[in-house]
Amino acid sequence: MEKDKTLWRVAMLIPPLAVFGILVVWPLFSSFYYSITNWNGFSADYRYVGFDNFLQIFHDPLFTRAAVNTVIWMLAAVIVPTGLGLVLALLIDSQVPGASVFKSIFYLPICLSAIVVGQIWVWIYQPDWGLLNTAINLVTGGNSHFAWLAKPGTALYAVIAAWSWQQTGLAMVIFLAGLTAIPPDLIEVCHIEGASSGQRIRQVVLPLLRPATVVVVALGVINSLKGFDILYIMTGGGPFNSSDTLAMHMYNESFKKYHMGYGSAISVVLFLIALAIIFAYFRQLRKVDEIYE
Amino acid sequence: MNDRLASAAMPSFNPWQAAIFVCLAVLALLFLAPTIGVLLSSLKTTEDIALGKLWSFPTSLYLDNFRTVLADPAIHTYFLNTLLIAVPATAGSIVLGILSGYVFAKLPFRGSDVLFLAIVAGMFFPPQVILIPLFRLFNGLGLLDTLWPMIFVHIAMGIPICTLMMRNFFATVPAALREAAIIEGASEWQVLTKVALPLSLPALAVLSTLQFTWIWNDFLWPLIFTQSDDKRTIMLGLVFLQGQYSVAWGIQGALSLIASLPTLIVFLFFQRYFIKGMTMGAVKG
Repeated sequence: MEKDKTLWRVAMLIPPLAVFGILVVWPLFSSFYYSITNWNGFSADYRYVGFDNFLQIFHDPLFTRAAVNTVIWMLAAVIVPTGLGLVLALLIDSQVPGASVFKSIFYLPICLSAIVVGQIWVWIYQPDWGLLNTAINLVTGGNSHFAWLAKPGTALYAVIAAWSWQQTGLAMVIFLAGLTAIPPDLIEVCHIEGASSGQRIRQVVLPLLRPATVVVVALGVINSLKGFDILYIMTGGGPFNSSDTLAMHMYNESFKKYHMGYGSAISVVLFLIALAIIFAYFRQLRKVDEIYE
Repeated sequence: MNDRLASAAMPSFNPWQAAIFVCLAVLALLFLAPTIGVLLSSLKTTEDIALGKLWSFPTSLYLDNFRTVLADPAIHTYFLNTLLIAVPATAGSIVLGILSGYVFAKLPFRGSDVLFLAIVAGMFFPPQVILIPLFRLFNGLGLLDTLWPMIFVHIAMGIPICTLMMRNFFATVPAALREAAIIEGASEWQVLTKVALPLSLPALAVLSTLQFTWIWNDFLWPLIFTQSDDKRTIMLGLVFLQGQYSVAWGIQGALSLIASLPTLIVFLFFQRYFIKGMTMGAVKG
């Protein structure tokens, strides 16, 4: 019986583990290896360069730029979709008529591809007839033709706004799932005790939404690390690398300039950042679990 | 006390509810504006858009943009390529997730929790981390500029979410059910296919919608692995066609809509599963 079980374990785990091992785990470790070489992507002739690629990172102003932008993107991800998603979830949860329609509307952008979302927002920022300038001109009566995506000062934030538009719906449904997990008796008690809506939300609902908040924040930070497609189509990291992120910088170095060794070093840095976030995330989840068990 | 409960039970008489409704309606309109803009642009001529008439309501139904897009043979190729990738990759990742999910849920062993966590963690890493070695691998195999790399990579990248979802679902199948079947002389394979899987159809629906949508919308992998036009997927094709129709905004709008149609349809019909999958995948990580 126990021997049977072991046989089945092996037989059932080999296919998924083999695929995952060959196409995910092994490449991950190869990245470490390439990061200490000067491979150019095609030639068979490359050599070991030690930590030169990692030292180069410190002298690469474009890397610094990309790292700072990635941090800005993460911070924005924690503030904008999380805040907006929470507000929307609280509003929708208040048994308002048409709640499910509202939910679908706010959630819709999630099923669009980053490419399509990017394109939609390129039009919003279009200098001559885009929605943003049209709206500004309507309100101020001016004649603005500001090119939001072509100015180094605004390009990054314009892309983050578009990205947030898509991510807010995801944050909202996670908060909604958290809200339905709150026992209705508790809310009832608030009503009976005569607590105001503000008191109820601040003292009962928000503390109970802690697990959902952990998830939303972690996902936001992780997804901001992955932000590539939308950047590729909206600015390509420009103008003058002003909206570059680490993911974009890694792509440019590796597949535009064919500095695959240096690109691998950037991907190792990306991996370490992601690993740190994932560790913190799993630990927080466990803590949250302990509180509720 | 009683009327407080009554007001909670009858939301339509509450002025707060009205305020919240108006608030939500305004936000919803703002949220929909970008999508409506694309829809409007796809129904207008380039001249109209350039003249600033994009945001006015179309006076007549102008469908030439859609005709142009649908008649473009490149679009047909992109659609076919994306289907040829998305269907086998969705199926493949789910089958592998079923296998590993079953072991983690019903046949746990020493260290299986750690292995499970390690696989699930794979879901969160940026794909840039394995981009270069995979490029080299498929180059070495002579598979660059074919559809195979995307099929393989999407199967592999789908394993974490599929394993997670299937394990969580199989965990809800009562252990007594499995034991009874084993005592009757069924093998683990029969328990999986005859007992556990038929009970897990909702999980399969969740995974199919999620995986199909993600693979359909993918951009990075075909960008790296393909070169020729007849191997492009729809999202990659969209970006390249933008160059071809560079100021033909209406055609671009129609393109975006048509490229999003399959995922929009999936979303409309399977929204419940889609949302469930998104929240489950996120919360139970």
